[in-house]
Amino acid sequence: MDAHPQSEIQNLQLAEWETEFAAAAKRPLAVRMHYAFIRTYKPVLDDASYRSFETMAEYRAWCEKNLPKWLGYGRSL
Amino acid sequence: MAARFDYPQAQEIRAAFARRGVRYLFIGKSGAILLGFPDTTQDADLFVEKTAVNGEALAKALLELGFELTPEQVAEIRRGKDFVQLKNGPFDLDLVFAPDGIETFAEAWERRVEVDGFPVCHPDDIVASKEAANRVKDRESLPRLKAFRDYWKKKR
Repeated sequence: MDAHPQSEIQNLQLAEWETEFAAAAKRPLAVRMHYAFIRTYKPVLDDASYRSFETMAEYRAWCEKNLPKWLGYGRSL
Repeated sequence: MAARFDYPQAQEIRAAFARRGVRYLFIGKSGAILLGFPDTTQDADLFVEKTAVNGEALAKALLELGFELTPEQVAEIRRGKDFVQLKNGPFDLDLVFAPDGIETFAEAWERRVEVDGFPVCHPDDIVASKEAANRVKDRESLPRLKAFRDYWKKKR
């Protein structure tokens, strides 16, 4: 028998998340935003000042073909 | 590299877009963060209504904000290509004219949530667009985002 059944782990995870949501709700929007937006260099993606795509499908295909897999913009790793 | 997106940049967007009458919604994780989702992101994503009038207003507002757009780029934004990625201005911005998982701008607008004057997609729409996009990074963040959506609805 599992020491921690899956449902118990899920409930514990959910409770932890809800604690985080409640804490965030107490912070002013400007503070939340200040700590939420981060800058790190993303190879290829950050190497052009402008890109546009006729369709979302075209954009997704470009991401799959051109971006490093580890960035997570593709549908598989 | 452009400045990191922060509250003052969001205020600039809100003011410039209001002056020009641009119809838009914050979407994606940036939208969820406005709603209270405690997480991190690198991009501000805007769902923009795809009409000639709105495209014209949007292009003017972006120029006013300091984005350095060529005449060809202005024309594309006016026309409303489905996805435009801007890294040629005071901050980075993704413009989405047809997000995955959302039928029409009008429907999303009807369901929108106002947060301090910022128009934001309803969390159901944010979740739907990430589910439809189905990228690795979306799949990783969805369980917690859905938990937030449920928590947000419960507290409303």
